[in-house]
Amino acid sequence: MAEAIRSNKQRSKELGLTGFILKPLALTLKQTLKSTVHKPTTVLYPWEKLVLPDVYRGRPGLRFDKCIGCGVCMRICPNRCIDMMEVDDLPKEGVETPKKVKRPRVNVGRCMMCGYCAEYCPTDAMIVTPEYELASFTRGALIYDPYQLQYDGVPGNEVHILEVLPAELHTGAAPRPALENKDLPSLEDSKCIGCTKCAKACPVDAVEMKEMGVNEKGRPIKRPVFDNDKCVSCENCVEVCPKSALCMKEVQ
Amino acid sequence: MAKMWINMGPQHPMTHGLWNLRIEVDGETVTNSEPVIGYLHRGWEKMVEDRTYPQIIPMADRLCYGSSYTWSHVYCLAVEDLMELEVPERAKYIRVIADELQRIASHLMWLAAIGPDLGNLTIFLYAMRERELFMDLFQSLCGARMTYNYTRIGGVRNDTTPEWERDLVRTLDFFEKRMVEYEDLVDRNVVFRMRMEGLAPLSAADAINLGVTGPSLRGSGVDFDVRQDDPYEVYENLDWHPCVQPDCDVYARYRVRMDEMRMSVQIIRDALKKMPKGPVRVKPPRYAPEGTGMARMEDPRGESLMYVIGDGTEKPFRLKVRSPFFVTLSAAPVMVNGCKVADVPSIMGMIDVCMGETDR
Repeated sequence: MAEAIRSNKQRSKELGLTGFILKPLALTLKQTLKSTVHKPTTVLYPWEKLVLPDVYRGRPGLRFDKCIGCGVCMRICPNRCIDMMEVDDLPKEGVETPKKVKRPRVNVGRCMMCGYCAEYCPTDAMIVTPEYELASFTRGALIYDPYQLQYDGVPGNEVHILEVLPAELHTGAAPRPALENKDLPSLEDSKCIGCTKCAKACPVDAVEMKEMGVNEKGRPIKRPVFDNDKCVSCENCVEVCPKSALCMKEVQ
Repeated sequence: MAKMWINMGPQHPMTHGLWNLRIEVDGETVTNSEPVIGYLHRGWEKMVEDRTYPQIIPMADRLCYGSSYTWSHVYCLAVEDLMELEVPERAKYIRVIADELQRIASHLMWLAAIGPDLGNLTIFLYAMRERELFMDLFQSLCGARMTYNYTRIGGVRNDTTPEWERDLVRTLDFFEKRMVEYEDLVDRNVVFRMRMEGLAPLSAADAINLGVTGPSLRGSGVDFDVRQDDPYEVYENLDWHPCVQPDCDVYARYRVRMDEMRMSVQIIRDALKKMPKGPVRVKPPRYAPEGTGMARMEDPRGESLMYVIGDGTEKPFRLKVRSPFFVTLSAAPVMVNGCKVADVPSIMGMIDVCMGETDR
């Protein structure tokens, strides 16, 4: 390394006063002048804020009336910061005691703002909001219950999945919402015991228990029948089934 | 004078992120050195074994704060290899554009970091100012500034808009003019060049034997670029070439990165011209088959690789990450030994440190 240092010293001698000091100084001065006649690049943050695009992913927001309580957001959340909570429904005219509904509660302190809940929500009830100033004095204040989470939003705040099936990639099919090629639950008949748990768990009442004749003891056999138009592919019925008789049938 | 050991780090301006370079000095000369890592270990590879395939994409973003896009990209490539899923043509082009935007943003971050390391604060402000433009582009594309969560298994999250493409072209035109300013400030600055030229020679043979990849390898005169030698996405259709410098010193590594930023601009322009219309996203299968998937790509720091083993469920059985900087760090003793203490920041800063991916 000693050679390198000697060569540097030699080099500064070769360059002399002009090349070593004056030329770089002149260059710096030119840059200084250039950047002085310039608008400031920064803004005075707490008083002045940058304009955010509609797609900006801040904390998740909830449109309370659109939510069906299916729990898709809870299941897709990579940080598991969403859980479903039983709350009173929004007050309506003519209803004295509001009924209990399931709505998501978000621990914003753990949320990593990936936007998956808004993307996978079948009814666009979860949206991304431009709120990013989320600091608070306690951790408890960061757990947003469904009422705190409410946010009306603007039309650009929803996130849609527009996709095609792998089979129709080269057919020139137009992309369509994910709900149009959803996976549907399918029943393995021999395993079913007719317990009606799936019908109770369904958030959109797409499961109906129908009587399918009688068994050898003369009791009615009940089997779930699925309404495929209503289904939002939320997998609640698959999860509650005590005998694992249901599974999701993939659309390919 | 007796030899002694000095800890450079874990809290030191040279160590972007947390790591420690222990150096043995004899007076001012470094005689021995030993990198110590592990301060940012989060158990990432184990953590993702408990997540489903789509849930891992935003977590892959968190591997590296400087170039988060490339990590979710390489993860999606590996899973698509496992699932044997075909990606729409338009999504491939969008991925390449986002990839090169991320490369520019990451190299600007490196330029901003190397400036103060070598006592040039102006270049820090300039590079950060232009990085903001690329952050804004990403923000209007996918909604986030640093951790994009933009690729999906089977495509990308959303399509680009015509306004975004217009903004992109304008930004590139503006950025090319600003590149001239950086070179005025650094390349024509004699003091800056004296601190870089002839410093820390890493011969091509050493670089290959130590597994160094990326700009540090190309700075040693080896023409190797994963985009050229094992092309993924649509790089073989685009008009570009890898940037190689034969000088093997710190200045050569600096030049490679500056040239790469120009080359990225060229790639984006070409990709925008050739981009077809069509869908951008394919519905991925719910369960991955049993088997393995592997993908490698050119990260701004070198060759990143992900190897995923599927066991027929919706969660991966194992996910292995090959971090480019983890391997490049093993060349640190070769480069640092024999230099002066004051040169260590310029040598280590020039290989673009990112500890998030190294410790995982």
